Amino acid sequence: MAMGKLAQMNQKRTMTLNLTEQEMRVLEEMSTQKDLSKTALLRQALRLYQLVDVRLSRGEKLFFEDEHKKEKAELMVL
Amino acid sequence: MRDPVQIIDCTTREAVEAELFDEVTIEHFLETQKEWRPFVVAATKLLVQSGASAEIVPSHFHWDWSRKEADLRVLAFSFFGIARKEKLQGLMKLQTVGRAGRLATQKGKPLVYVDYLETAPWNIKPLMQALGKRPQFAAVGTRLIEAAVRKSLEEGFKGRLALHSLPGSERFYLEVCGMTALVPDPAKQNLLWCEFTPAQAEKFLTGGAA
Repeated sequence: MAMGKLAQMNQKRTMTLNLTEQEMRVLEEMSTQKDLSKTALLRQALRLYQLVDVRLSRGEKLFFEDEHKKEKAELMVL
Repeated sequence: MRDPVQIIDCTTREAVEAELFDEVTIEHFLETQKEWRPFVVAATKLLVQSGASAEIVPSHFHWDWSRKEADLRVLAFSFFGIARKEKLQGLMKLQTVGRAGRLATQKGKPLVYVDYLETAPWNIKPLMQALGKRPQFAAVGTRLIEAAVRKSLEEGFKGRLALHSLPGSERFYLEVCGMTALVPDPAKQNLLWCEFTPAQAEKFLTGGAA
């Protein structure tokens, strides 16, 4: 049976990623904090970036809100 | 992914083979509109005519899956379906980003969130019983939750899973699946937040739930 389109899309491909010391340190700290592997954390980051991008392109806005200071700031995503 | 799974034929009470798949398309969403919704409408009419309470009608029956078509292309979401002889028996949408555990031991740790899970109306026991019939298949919801736990493991979330349960489904998630209930969530129509820890998820997968 021919491989389905989604099955093909789900096949994993490998890439080399070059990070600075600082970026690597943050990646390691966050992956420990979130109980995730570094790969899983980066995949999460990509998914979140795409999700935010899709919702912004639909005309929605992204805000950070501080309830105590009563401040609300729109986050601009490039 | 297309995997054989077993569901229960409620007439013969025997396990029968079905197919679990993640290649969900707009066609499956349209099938829910074409096959599932008219069934519920017809069932509701019968219940009202017979004087039975229409409250037995599943509270999710207004869900319109076709409105989620755009999400099929977003990495943050995954969809799974179960079909028996090409006929859709259940559908689920998962969110794999932006959700974290709320249990004290899991706070801040990422998990898979079950955004929507629906079984075909002819598999809903209270609805079919109100119509004086047996449901067609059982264990469809269980197979979908198992798929969600596996997705959590695949994502590196160690089986962590959560959802907001509709009132009629709380018993299934808490007693059959063994999830832990937190307080009703005012940010989500006061629906009950139910969560699997990694240990609970493992027990559910290996314990042979219904």
